[in-house]
Amino acid sequence: MTPKEKERLIKRIWIVITYVVLIGFALVYLMPFIRSLVASFMTWAQASQYPPKWIPSPFTLENYEKLFRLELFPKWVRNTALYSGIIVAGNILFSSMAGYAFARLRFPGRDVIFSALLSLLMIPMFVTLVPNYIIIYKLGLIDNILGLSLLGLVNVSSIFLMRQYFMSLSNEIFEAARLDGCGPIKSFFYIALPLAKPALGAVAVYQFLGSWNAFIGPLIFLRTPEHFTLPVGLSFAFQRAMWTEYTPIIAGSLVASAPTILLFLILNKYLIRGIVITGGKG
Amino acid sequence: MARVLLKNVTKKFEDVIAVNKLNLEIKDGEFMVLLGPSGCGKSTTLRMIAGLETPTEGEIWIGEQIVNEIDPTKRNTAMVFQSYALYPHMTVFGNIEFPLRMSNVPKQERIKKVKEVAEFLGIAELLNRKPSELSGGQQQRVALARALVREPQVFLLDEPLSNLDAKIRTQMRFELKKLLSYDLGITTIYVTHDQVEAMTMADRIAVMNKGQLQQVGTPDEIFYKPSNTFVATFVGSPPMNLIEGDVLKDEKGVFFDSGHFILELPGDVDAEGKVILGFRPQHTEVSIEAREGFVKGKLLGIEKLGVESYGHLVYEDLELIIKLPENIRPSMGEIYWRPRHDRMYIFDGKARNLIYG
Repeated sequence: MTPKEKERLIKRIWIVITYVVLIGFALVYLMPFIRSLVASFMTWAQASQYPPKWIPSPFTLENYEKLFRLELFPKWVRNTALYSGIIVAGNILFSSMAGYAFARLRFPGRDVIFSALLSLLMIPMFVTLVPNYIIIYKLGLIDNILGLSLLGLVNVSSIFLMRQYFMSLSNEIFEAARLDGCGPIKSFFYIALPLAKPALGAVAVYQFLGSWNAFIGPLIFLRTPEHFTLPVGLSFAFQRAMWTEYTPIIAGSLVASAPTILLFLILNKYLIRGIVITGGKG
Repeated sequence: MARVLLKNVTKKFEDVIAVNKLNLEIKDGEFMVLLGPSGCGKSTTLRMIAGLETPTEGEIWIGEQIVNEIDPTKRNTAMVFQSYALYPHMTVFGNIEFPLRMSNVPKQERIKKVKEVAEFLGIAELLNRKPSELSGGQQQRVALARALVREPQVFLLDEPLSNLDAKIRTQMRFELKKLLSYDLGITTIYVTHDQVEAMTMADRIAVMNKGQLQQVGTPDEIFYKPSNTFVATFVGSPPMNLIEGDVLKDEKGVFFDSGHFILELPGDVDAEGKVILGFRPQHTEVSIEAREGFVKGKLLGIEKLGVESYGHLVYEDLELIIKLPENIRPSMGEIYWRPRHDRMYIFDGKARNLIYG
């Protein structure tokens, strides 16, 4: 074997090893999803057997039927969509403005405020849960999607992502805009915002995923079933006093995750870019 | 259009003095080039005129107005950046139209003006393209069009040609000069570190170094009457030869002793003691035979630049470059040379200012 062939062989072996490892990990991550998919077509009796069965027998659509028989199911979908919509819109608007200010404007205390903001990332949500609850309660917005949305209208990691993105844009473009007659506000709307589309896409996708799947927040801030979001509603509908009927929940979760999976397939390049933006320039 | 006047302008960045007490007047319609090595303060000066930096001290006048406190959005200066700084999300049309849109020019008039200026610069057929689809030269023109479209009082250019390749650069040099000086007669301040650009384009050149203005003058003045050794070596290629030594006077005449050789100086030289003798490589006489008043030199190497060739001579720690006549061939190890008397410069040994020449 010539050294060149040897080198090629080693390269090929490495590729095989890489793929084996990657496929292994992908399977580990996919397993619960596949399990859910299979279980959603099983009766609860079969799904709860041990060792687990992988082929539904009898094959049943009962779980899905139960789901669609729920009167409140469409309402929950609408609530979740409303909640996600508000969160996405709020984050796009506010985090781009805040990120722009932190990246492009000079004002006293800017860096201190920014570090303080970043340090909020270290505080677990449970610490602020009670104070937040009290605030929303005093505002009279408990059991209201709007009250719940208020808490997530802007998010530190979105601000951070937008700031990093705006910092990566060339300074000269903003200087040129300034000489062309743009003050800071005009250059935000005419220059910064249109150029920030990739970052805004990433923020939108992340926030949509987070709010669509949110459980703890809606569980605590919403009370009447009419106001529930999908994740809370599902667990409410099939939770009995002594036991939980898991198969319809699984079916419901699959239906609920359909939009996010779809979104991921369409927008995964934005997701990845979002990671690149935050991880790249610092 | 307007003149620009800088009075005692100083800019400090924390401890660094970028521009130090600069006094400079750019006349109405003049093409002024700020020339100097990187970090000499020329770009900072330009940015202060544009309003992107605020001077620490001093006054900047545009026309009959002090503009120190006027926001760059309202100064009516236009600038072309080294990177062109086109807006990547807008078409060429959008880019050129942008300054007009920002100053609320009515739509019909905007369209008319954009078309006019695009026609004028030969980019009319590119109006619907995005900047990323253009070549460097085309982007350059779009940047120019965007700057010209609102008829600024002062036109500022920051190394606008340095991102272009050599051929287009030469072509753009002449086009820019023609456009700004002859066609429009606009007050222009042009920053470059390239002496060829400065020499070919400027009405006057301001040479800067380490934040200090070294000399202001026409290209000829800068080249033939450099006020100090910095200007003398920065302008001209290859740079002027500088030799430290002493002036000696006796009844036979005035002489210069470098320690390695003695040269006769013109009789009207009025200097004494330690000086620096300067002469350009082009301003020498060369012979292959020993001649009266010529200095013997050993050729270390020859640089051939097509028509011209330059010989490198070494005297211990002193290296000189002289232009060789076409009949001198590399095989000849020794030559005899002397600087031309009418093109000799003598600089003060300490202050390094011109005292003769």
